[in-house]
Amino acid sequence: MSESSHYISKYQQLLRDLKSTVEGLLMTQVANVWSVYGGLNRFHTIVDKIFRHGSKGSEEESGYYNFIQGLEWLQPENSKSYFSIDCEYRPHIPSHLKNKKSAIWLYRSLENHSLSQKLSWLLSDKNHLSKCYHDYAFLCQEKYAEATLICLRAVERNQASLMSEINPSLFLQKPSQFLKIHRRCSSFPDNHMQKIYEEKLNIRRRTIQNFQNEVNKKIATGKIHGKLKAWHSMPSLLSVQHNIFKNRPRFESKTTPSTPIHSKKISPSLLKVDYRTLQPIPKKLNIKRNRQNIKPPDVKHIIIDNCSIVEHTPSLSSSQSSGTIMNEELTQSTVSMPETKSKVSNILSQSPLTVVDSFLPMPGEKDYKRLPKKTFIEDGGMSVLPMATGYFPKPTKGQSLLSFLTSSQFARANAELDRENAHFSISEAIISAMEQIRCKRHSNIGEEQMDDSDPEIVELKQKIRLRRTKRVLEKQKKNMSFSLMSDGKTDTATTVSPCSTPPDATSDGSSSDDVEDLEMNETSNLEENAGLSMSMASLFSEADIMKRHTRGAPDGASDILSAEGVAISLISKFSDKQLPRASDLEWLVSEEDAPQALLPLPKSWPVSPDSAEENITPLRGTQEWAPPRAQIIFTIHPATARKVLMSKQNYRCAGCSMRVAPKYASRFRYCEYLGRYFCTGCHKNQLALIPGRILQKWDFKRYPVSTFSYRLLEQMYTDPLFRVFSLNKNISKSTKNLEFCRRLRLGIYYLKDFIFTCRYAESLRIREKVEEMGSALTQPDFYSMDDLVKIKSGEMSSKLKVMVDICCKHTSECKLCLARGFFCERCKADEVIFPWQLRTVSRCDKCGSCYHLACWRPGNSPCIKCCRLQKRKESTDSSIRINNE
Amino acid sequence: MASRKKTLLKVIILGDSSVGKTSLMNQYVNRKFSNQYKATIGADFLTKELTVDDRTVTMQIWDTAGQERFQSLGVAFYRGADCCVLVFDVTAPNTFKSLDSWRDEFLIQASPREPENFPFVLLGNKVDLEPRAISAKRAQQWCQSKNNIPYFETSAKEGLNVEQAFLAIAKNALAQQNSTVDLYNEFPDQIKLTNTQKTSNNGDSCAC
Repeated sequence: MSESSHYISKYQQLLRDLKSTVEGLLMTQVANVWSVYGGLNRFHTIVDKIFRHGSKGSEEESGYYNFIQGLEWLQPENSKSYFSIDCEYRPHIPSHLKNKKSAIWLYRSLENHSLSQKLSWLLSDKNHLSKCYHDYAFLCQEKYAEATLICLRAVERNQASLMSEINPSLFLQKPSQFLKIHRRCSSFPDNHMQKIYEEKLNIRRRTIQNFQNEVNKKIATGKIHGKLKAWHSMPSLLSVQHNIFKNRPRFESKTTPSTPIHSKKISPSLLKVDYRTLQPIPKKLNIKRNRQNIKPPDVKHIIIDNCSIVEHTPSLSSSQSSGTIMNEELTQSTVSMPETKSKVSNILSQSPLTVVDSFLPMPGEKDYKRLPKKTFIEDGGMSVLPMATGYFPKPTKGQSLLSFLTSSQFARANAELDRENAHFSISEAIISAMEQIRCKRHSNIGEEQMDDSDPEIVELKQKIRLRRTKRVLEKQKKNMSFSLMSDGKTDTATTVSPCSTPPDATSDGSSSDDVEDLEMNETSNLEENAGLSMSMASLFSEADIMKRHTRGAPDGASDILSAEGVAISLISKFSDKQLPRASDLEWLVSEEDAPQALLPLPKSWPVSPDSAEENITPLRGTQEWAPPRAQIIFTIHPATARKVLMSKQNYRCAGCSMRVAPKYASRFRYCEYLGRYFCTGCHKNQLALIPGRILQKWDFKRYPVSTFSYRLLEQMYTDPLFRVFSLNKNISKSTKNLEFCRRLRLGIYYLKDFIFTCRYAESLRIREKVEEMGSALTQPDFYSMDDLVKIKSGEMSSKLKVMVDICCKHTSECKLCLARGFFCERCKADEVIFPWQLRTVSRCDKCGSCYHLACWRPGNSPCIKCCRLQKRKESTDSSIRINNE
Repeated sequence: MASRKKTLLKVIILGDSSVGKTSLMNQYVNRKFSNQYKATIGADFLTKELTVDDRTVTMQIWDTAGQERFQSLGVAFYRGADCCVLVFDVTAPNTFKSLDSWRDEFLIQASPREPENFPFVLLGNKVDLEPRAISAKRAQQWCQSKNNIPYFETSAKEGLNVEQAFLAIAKNALAQQNSTVDLYNEFPDQIKLTNTQKTSNNGDSCAC
C-alpha cells in the first residue's frame, strides 16, 4: 500500500515536472520552442528521467536503450536507418551526453519534434514495453504515458491548449476518490503554483460544501433573507434561490466536486494512439511510414505556423526582450537543426523576426522584436497599444457565455495589461459559471418542495411580481435617457451582479432591499423565459452558430492561448443549456471592490433606446486615468515640476494607471514625447528622437521615452508626417542644409515626371535610382523623421544632389524631355524652361505652366493661362446656357 | 537643290482625350489598331517617311495627351510645328466644341509667325461608330469659319481615309515650310540649351 502510494507520488512528481517544463516552454509563445533559452536541455532532462524510471536496463546505458531500439523492428524498413543516425553524436548536443546513445537519440528526437510519434509506436507494443520496463515504471502506467504523449505533442505543435487534455486526476493524491473523470484546463499561471493550486482546490471544495449545507438549511427552514453577502467567491444566494423557481433542466448530482462533470474521453482527433488496439500490423506500419516520410516538412510547418501566430498578435509581452538576443537564439536554433537547416534558415531569414531594426537602436536602449508592422500612416498608430486601456467588455443582456467570449470585443487587440487581466476576469467568469450550474442543480431539489406550496400564494406572488416589473420598467426608462449603459445597468441590477454594472448603477442595485432584488430577479427571468433566451430552439441555434464561429473563424477568438480561448475550450465541454447567461454571472471581485469607473460619456450622445442594447461602446480608461493615445506631437512640452504633473496625473502611471504613493513619485520616469510620467514597467528609459524637439529646435538628441512612445515613434519613423516649414517658419534659420534639401526635394519632385515618362531615360536606369528617394517623390513638403535625420547628417542632400544632377543632365540633353519643357508665355523668349529651375523659374500651382521668375511671380498677378482657361470656361458655360434657353 | 535636301515636317495632333489621336497615328505609321484605351502621358512622336510631289519628306508626328491632368509636362514642342491636326470624335459633341480652345491654345503656345495662315487640318474620327452626333456639314461649316481648314472623316479602326488625311497634312505642312523664310526647320536647333544648363548650375551653387 505504502509502496504503491510511493510510486504514485513519484509518477505525479515526474508528470508535474514535465508539465511545468512544457508550460514554461509554451508560455513564451515564441515561434520555435527550442529558442527558449535552455529549454531543450531542461526538457531533455525531464523526459530522460521519465524514460529511465523503472527501466530494466543497466544504469550506464541510461537504461532505456533496449526500449528505444525496438524502433528498429517496430518501424518500417526505410526508417530503420534513422534510428542509428539519431543515435550519432552531433556537435551541438551537450557534451555530457556524448557517450550515451539513448540520451542522444532522445535529444535529437525532441529536437526534431518526432518523439511523440516514436514513443507512441514504442508504447503500442505491450510485450516490448514489459520486456524493457518493470511493472511499476512510469511509462507502463497507461494514463501517465498518455499524459506524457500529450505533453510531447503540445511542445511539438507549440499548442499549450493541448495540455488541457491531461487528466487532472493524475495529479491528485488519491485518484481512486474520483469516480468520474474530470478535466481541467491547465491554464497558464500554475507553473510553479501547482501545490498552492491544489490547496486552494481543497479549500474551495470545503467551502462549497459548507455553503451547500447552509443553502440546504435555509431552504429547509424557509428563512430566506438573502443577507448572505459575506462570501465573495460564491454566487450570491439570492439569484441562486430564484433559479430554483424556474423550469430548468434538472440534474441529479451525486458527486460533489466543484469541477464540471463530463464523461467524454480525450477526443480521438488529438490522441491518435489507442494502446489496446494498436498492434504492429503491417497495414498500420505503412501508415507510419507515410508519416515518417513527411516529417521534415512537418518541422517547417511548425515554424511557419508560429511565425504567423506571432504576426497575428500585435505585441507580445515577451516582445520586450532585446532583438539581438532573439536573433542569436534564432540562429542557434537553426544551427541545431542540421537536417532542415537550409530550409529553416531560409524561412527564418524571411520571417519578420530577423528583420534588421531600422530604428537605429542605440546603446543602452531596449529594442523590439521586429514584426511586420503597419506604418503610422496606414493604421493611425492603432497597432501600438498602451500597456492598458482599462477596458474589459461587459456582457449584454441575455448574451450566452459562449457568445460573450467569442464576441468581437475580445478579438479586438487589447493592450498588454488588459490581456493579462482578462485571464483573471474570465477565469472568474468561468468559476462563477460552474458555481452557478452546481448551485442550480442543488436548488432544484429545493424547488420541488417549493412547488408544492399553496396555489393561492403562488398567484399572489405573481401579482406582486407584475407590479414590480412595471416599477422596474419605469425606472429603466428614466435611466435610459441618462446613460448609454443604462440597459446594462438595469439588467444587471435585476440579476444582482453589482460588478457588471457601471458604478452609477450600483446605487440602484445595492439600495434596493433584498426582497425586491428577489422579485426583480424573478421578473427578469420571466422575461427571459418569454423571450428568446431559454427556449430550446434558440439555444441550440445560438450554440450551433457559436460553434461554427469558433471553429471557422481563426481571426476572432482563435488565439488558443488567450484567456477567452482557454475559457472557450473549457466551457465548450458543456452544453450551452447548462451555462448561465454571461450577464447573469456573479463576479468574484465586484465593481465595488475595485471601482473602474468609466469615463463619462458626452451628454449629447444620441442613444436610441432600441440600439442601446446592442452597441456597447468600448470606452477608454477610467475617471482618473485614460490610456495614452497614438498622437503626433509637434511641440515641446513645457517644463513642469514633477510634483505638479504627478498630481495632475492623480499619481498614476500614464501608461497603465498604476497608482504610486507621492513619496515614491520620484521613481516614475518622464516621457519626453508624451510629457507624462510613467512607471518603470511602462518606461524602460529607451531613448528616442523627439519630433517636437527636432521641429522646434532642430535638436537631434535622444531623450528617454515610455515604451508606448518608443513604439509609436518607431512606427512613424519613416512616415512623411511633418510639414516642417509650415510647422516652424523659422526652421531654415537654424540649418542651411534643410533649405538646400527642400529645394532639391522639390526639384526631384518635378524632375521625376519627366524622367519617369521619358522613353530615353528608361535606358539610363535613372528611374530605379530616383524611386529610392521615397517620400520626396510624392510629397516633397512632408518629411519623415528618417528624412530629417538624414538631412541633419547630410546624407539626404548629398544623395539628392547626385540624383538631381543626373536628371538635370538628362533633361538638358534629351530631345523628348526638352520638347516637354515650357516656354515663358510672358516674354515668349525662345528658351525652354523647367519647373525645377527654382532660381529663375516660377510655376503656377493651378495650371502647371512655367514663367520666368522675372516675368511672373505667383501671388503677384493671376497666371495668364489660368485667366485664359477661366474665360474660355465662362464662355462655354454661357453658350450652354443660351442653348438651353 | 531644295528637293535634294531631306525635309523634316513637324506635325502636332491635338484634341480631347479618347478621340483617337494615338490610334490615328498608329494606324498611319504602323497600320495597327488596338481596342484597348491607354491614356497618353506627356507627348511623344513617331516618324514616317513619305513622298510628296516627288520629294521625300520625314514626317515627325507628335501625339499629345488630351487630358489636362498631365500638367507637370510642358508643350515646348508646339514651337516650330509645320502643321497642326485637330481631331474630334464624331459621336461625342463635346470633343467638337473644344476644338476652338485647342486651336487657340496651339496658336498661343506655338506662336507662329502668321497665326491666320498657319495650316490646320481637321479630322472627324470614329466614323465607323453609330450614332453620329456631329454631321459632316456642321464640321465643314466650322472649317470654313476658320479660314478653310481641310476636313477629313476618318476611322482609325478601319483605316478609313487615314492615308489620304495624312498626305494632305504633309502637303499642308510642306507648303507652310516653303512659305516661311525660316531656315531653321530642324527641331533641336530651335531650342537653346545654354540657358537651361546655366540655370540648373545656378540652382546648385546657390543652395550650397
